[in-house]
Amino acid sequence: MTGNAPSTCVWILLLFLHIRLLNGQSPPGKPQISKCRSTEKETFSCWWNPGPDGGLPTNYTLTYNKEGNPFTYECPDYNTSGPNSCYFDKKHTSIWTMYIITVNATNQMGSNASDPYYVDVTYIVEPDPPINLILEVKYPEDQKPYLWIKWFPPTQVDVKSGWLTLQYEIRLKPEKANEWEVHFAGQKTQFKILSLYPGKKYLVQVRCKPDHGFWSEWGPEGSIQIPDDSTSTDTTVWIFVAVLSVVVCLIMVWAVAMKGYSMLTCVFPPVPGPKIKGLDIHLLERGKSEELLSSLGCQDFPSDCEDLLVELLEVVDSENQQPVQVHLKKHPDQGLKPTPLDPDSDSGQGSCDSPSLLSNNHEGSQESPSTFHTPGGIEEPENPEGNGAHTWDSQSTSVEGRVPYFCADGPKSSTWPSPQPRNQHNPRSSYHNIADVCKLDPGTAGSSATVLDKTDKCSLTSLETTEPGGEEKAAQQRWVESFHSKTDPDTPWLLPQEDTSVISAKPLDYVEIHKVSKDGALSLFPKQEENGNQTEKAGGLKTRMEYSKVARVMESSILVLVQDPPAPDLALFEEPAEEAPPSLPHNQEEKDLAAFAMTPSNCRLAGLDYLDPACLKHSFQ
Amino acid sequence: MDNKGLSLTGGPFLLVLVLVSSLLLCKNVASMPPCPSGAVNCEVALGDLFDHAVILSHYIHNLSSEMFSEFNKQYAQDRWFFTRAINGCHTSSIPTPEDKEQAQNMHHEDLLNLVLRVLSSWNEPLYHLVTEVRAIQEAPGIQEAPGTQETFAMQEAFSTQETLSTQEALRTQETPNGILSRAIEIEDRNKQLLEGMEKIINRVQHGVRRIEAPSPWLGLPFLQEADKDTRLFALYELIHCLRRDSHKIDNYLKLLKCRIIYDSNC
Repeated sequence: MTGNAPSTCVWILLLFLHIRLLNGQSPPGKPQISKCRSTEKETFSCWWNPGPDGGLPTNYTLTYNKEGNPFTYECPDYNTSGPNSCYFDKKHTSIWTMYIITVNATNQMGSNASDPYYVDVTYIVEPDPPINLILEVKYPEDQKPYLWIKWFPPTQVDVKSGWLTLQYEIRLKPEKANEWEVHFAGQKTQFKILSLYPGKKYLVQVRCKPDHGFWSEWGPEGSIQIPDDSTSTDTTVWIFVAVLSVVVCLIMVWAVAMKGYSMLTCVFPPVPGPKIKGLDIHLLERGKSEELLSSLGCQDFPSDCEDLLVELLEVVDSENQQPVQVHLKKHPDQGLKPTPLDPDSDSGQGSCDSPSLLSNNHEGSQESPSTFHTPGGIEEPENPEGNGAHTWDSQSTSVEGRVPYFCADGPKSSTWPSPQPRNQHNPRSSYHNIADVCKLDPGTAGSSATVLDKTDKCSLTSLETTEPGGEEKAAQQRWVESFHSKTDPDTPWLLPQEDTSVISAKPLDYVEIHKVSKDGALSLFPKQEENGNQTEKAGGLKTRMEYSKVARVMESSILVLVQDPPAPDLALFEEPAEEAPPSLPHNQEEKDLAAFAMTPSNCRLAGLDYLDPACLKHSFQ
Repeated sequence: MDNKGLSLTGGPFLLVLVLVSSLLLCKNVASMPPCPSGAVNCEVALGDLFDHAVILSHYIHNLSSEMFSEFNKQYAQDRWFFTRAINGCHTSSIPTPEDKEQAQNMHHEDLLNLVLRVLSSWNEPLYHLVTEVRAIQEAPGIQEAPGTQETFAMQEAFSTQETLSTQEALRTQETPNGILSRAIEIEDRNKQLLEGMEKIINRVQHGVRRIEAPSPWLGLPFLQEADKDTRLFALYELIHCLRRDSHKIDNYLKLLKCRIIYDSNC
């Protein structure tokens, strides 16, 4: 029985506890002080978290000790700061002093104390947010409008005495934005915001921090509507600018449309292509040589023809195939327009070589076409005397029996002596002339192209006709105008005779064209070499003949001249003879002439077609 | 004979004494700036002096707070030093106002002198603080506590905000990092603040000055203890007291500035 008593007690105790536990009652759990804060560094509050109360009403008490003070004090105010809090007023607050705070939870079952909490008020200052936020949009003169923000420190913080020094921070954002724009304002209680979006509603908040404490919470939101930026003056200015620019654009478009091309040429002047003055391509294409040449201005022959060159004309002897060199002078006034001849290749240079046969095409070029491109180029040796006067032999005699094949190569219609150097004129015209010259029948004017054919006809027929020598002479004196003159006016005519056998009895007279007068008259010099010179020396007996009458124009480019007094041609021939210098005996002259007639063959230089005047001179001597 | 000897030796001695005392007095007088009361120039200059003093005191407190935080992180995490730092600081003997009313009731001259006294009390401890921190950082074997265990909110009072304030106050300076660099900086700035306070006091008190003895610091033996833990705790206490006193000085100076310069209307 005694053994059962202790166990019974235990059992009862356990039963009692079990019953208690089944009811859910226990001592309170351990409370825990969560935080302590001071808003102005003059008072502070502490809050705790109560533990489980154990199912019984639990009483919490807060006790504290101060540094250097052995006494324990209880919380003076449990209510001001809310439940589970303790508020220390100014009397109970000491700065720069350590507080050791403990919370006790007590209930019927027991009590429980929290861990001590060490706190110094100096370091737990966290003020309330600033108050009385004022937002205002200000419009100063000559400046952009800005947002002016004004606020006041929290009521309890003593800033004036300097007990606390507050610093402020502002944040703002447009109403619908996500990010805040934060600005630090320092110790000022107002702030200006300059960069604003007009027409938007802004939200503004302010907070503060003591010099050695924590930031406060953000204050209540203030909102303000920013008015629209566009002022009437700005809009007006932009409208004006837009209208002006449109007007300017229209004017420019109109100007371009009206004078587009001229403006274009003004800005981008056309680059001139190569062009020869006076040369019309179209005329060239059409083959109208006269117009072409006239357009080139070939009519402007220089009046003073002394500067004109005498061209060498190559006359080909039909039998001997020897070209006869004839110097031609340019006749300025007749305006001969040689027909454009085909610039085909020449058969042989010897026969067809008469580069002095100029065409009007090249009048403009101041070349020296008068130089005959003969195999010898023998103009200079031709007159070593300079002014050697050659009697112009009657071509009739020279060509008699000879067909002046200007191009004896063959029936080339275009076998004009062409392969001259480019700078030389087209000699065809001269050939043309010569060809026509041989025609005693002026009616047989043929095309230049077919001159060769006609020469065949004309030469023999013409020669055989017993026309007066003067006519022949006249015919022979035809020459082609539009020669480019070489600056050697003294280059005489020369008509070397190759075959004396054919030569008629009449001696050949070389006539030098002294000059061409203004009205187109040609003054000729009977070329009698020394005789001529001596004649001049003797007394200046003028042996000048003036042929000023134009018999006819042939082929539109050849003039047939006759002596002014229409004396028989025979007289012409005889005149030089008659007008031989009286110093010379007549028989001498005849003898000379005869000698002259005979000498050409001897004097003919080998390979050369020119009659060497020296040779003639010699013959005369 | 003795009298003669005495008189012979005593004469020059007295002369030297007179000279030294006169020099001291002259120095005192000479250091007094001529600033009659009511002169505008003087007041403006005083405002500048106060501004500079406040900037210095603010900066010193920020450095102290940061140094305390650093020290806690490195050496005192698990040691619960804060529970033992109840002994008080060596400057506790100097009666200082403990709240705003006490501070406002104190005369500004007294408050100025108090500030000066506290500042001068810290000359020697700061010197030893630098020496000791340098020794501790160079000494091996002292493990730095890893992590940042937060135990008390008050020990987290030095936030980055304080650092920013320091930087704002002294823009031309780079905030020193580490305990040692901060200690050195505090020592320098404290000397400057002392000089500034001397000027302010001379300006305010017009030469009438009470020279009060600074509070002695008796913690040197603890700093030089062989026991590592004792040394660390002594260091902890020193840094803790420095933080508090620098805050006091800063607060008092701001009060004085608002009171004297702005007539309590800051």
